[in-house]
Amino acid sequence: MSELRLVRTTTKLRIKELLHYPSRFFTDIVIFATRCGILLVLYSFVFKLRGGMIGGTTFQAVAWSMFFYFAFMTFRLRDISREMMVDVQTGQIEILMSKPISYLSYKAWGRIGAGIIPMLTVGILGATALTLTVGVPPLMHSAAFLPTLALVFAGSCLLTIAVYTIVGLLSFWIEDINPIFWMVDKAVMMLGGSYLPVALFPALMYKIAVYSPFGASQFLSHTAYAKWLNEWPILVGIQAVWIALLGIAVLVMYKYARQTVSINGG
Amino acid sequence: MPKSIEISHLTKKFTFPVKNEQVGWVKNLFAPEKREVVAVSDISFSVAAGERVAFIGPNGAGKSTTIKMLTGILFPTSGTMNVLGFDPTKDRKKLAYQIGTVFGQRSQLLPNLPLTDSLEFFGVMYDLTNAQIKKRVAELTKLFSLGEFIDQPVRKLSLGQRMRAEVAASLIHKPKLILLDEPTIGLDVVAKKALRDLLLTINKEEKTTIFLTSHDVGDIESLCERTIIINRGTVIKDLPTADLAKSFAFEKYIDLIPTDKFASFVELPAGLRYLSKEPNKLTIAVDVNKLSTKEAIKTMLDLYDIEDIDVYNADMETVIRYIYERTAARPDNN
Repeated sequence: MSELRLVRTTTKLRIKELLHYPSRFFTDIVIFATRCGILLVLYSFVFKLRGGMIGGTTFQAVAWSMFFYFAFMTFRLRDISREMMVDVQTGQIEILMSKPISYLSYKAWGRIGAGIIPMLTVGILGATALTLTVGVPPLMHSAAFLPTLALVFAGSCLLTIAVYTIVGLLSFWIEDINPIFWMVDKAVMMLGGSYLPVALFPALMYKIAVYSPFGASQFLSHTAYAKWLNEWPILVGIQAVWIALLGIAVLVMYKYARQTVSINGG
Repeated sequence: MPKSIEISHLTKKFTFPVKNEQVGWVKNLFAPEKREVVAVSDISFSVAAGERVAFIGPNGAGKSTTIKMLTGILFPTSGTMNVLGFDPTKDRKKLAYQIGTVFGQRSQLLPNLPLTDSLEFFGVMYDLTNAQIKKRVAELTKLFSLGEFIDQPVRKLSLGQRMRAEVAASLIHKPKLILLDEPTIGLDVVAKKALRDLLLTINKEEKTTIFLTSHDVGDIESLCERTIIINRGTVIKDLPTADLAKSFAFEKYIDLIPTDKFASFVELPAGLRYLSKEPNKLTIAVDVNKLSTKEAIKTMLDLYDIEDIDVYNADMETVIRYIYERTAARPDNN
């Protein structure tokens, strides 16, 4: 109960902070609209040139897939890595570790609190714009769609937090995690369908996207394609396995990370 | 009297990789040479409940490292600790409910939000009910005079205001023990005094044990009844603060700026001595065991035509030097 209250308060304060300083919020929306918008315009031309369909996939499905990817990225769960690095580099971690809280859950809920309003805003605005421009793919009328979307969204959140927390925890050993962050982040972007929609991946790349934690953390982008209703149990299962494995890795790493804390001063 | 802190043979060593220019980058990356620094070396002491203890020493002495071990942030290399009945390495979260911490060089407050939000946040963190939080915030607002800036974003507060807020936030859950690491660093004289007075009040009214690191001699004199001195990771003295003043000639220093120029330098009465004599500035040392600062200033004003006066304490390095000199002369004097 007290944990839930702390989660609620942390989230509430991060939202309040966001509303006090809305520039980041508007920046996120502009970045989303620009990146997603440019890609969708480009892909719409490509699909037109190919007669409206590529490899059995329609532009409508691709547009929704990319929208899901970019809306999820607006959540900025990946920022947890850099926040942890800053905590270690500045020594701010000593403040958090002297409190009766779990450092990891505090960071995770803080990120969720900071990102939820931009993501919901982008989600609502983007979904409305897509509905009006390209329409809604038939599979989204299925009764199973929204529950499975919610399920894979929850899995994507947990897995993204786990992946980027592992990167963040590395800063306890190597202070500058930026090179590792960029490698992991680019893997997530590519395998998640940021540049090329997942439906257009070559077979090998699709397998890597499905079976690697980087791609699995972005399974939201798979939900727009017709085969989603058949393959969601497998994809959610893969996510669950990765969440369990990386969750254990996070706990083990944190146990050792705490013992390696070295803070200036003294 | 029950103990708040008991530590025995505590040692903390830090190891870090050192680049060896003589070997290749592969060895430097995967099997680098390690250098070891002993930050705290085999220290033992205890602090009784309700005591006000200064843990002092020069920069790099091991003060902050010790405090961080006491709060469970750092793990000792060897030795044992008992803080309010808990082992900080095993019961960090349980212990955190019982202690308050202030790190003078870092802020625990939410910088972009009003102070009220930080206080509410800490209240929730320490499992206080909403009614308890409201009551405690009102108490602390009154005690620490937070009212004038409680609704301002923390980053807009002055350093003095922020430190008052930091201490207030660390007391939201009425801790049994408060550990302060350099709480007065960077504060002006007025803000330092205000903070020391508040800590004294908290100690008297709420029986909070105070364990404070500082290299400001003023913190010790005005706030702490006992002083533990650490240097190069080792406790070199543990004694009542009053004895420290007597034993180690706690001198005050006075800088005097003349209205015109000092033409000649008269002989000083007992308890005063020149440290430097220049036409534009005089520095004298006052032996506070022979002469009060007030008497010393009065004497100097009678002797010279003075435009400006600056009174200050011996710095920590000087105190440590005195202690070493005295200990070397009388090794049995502990």
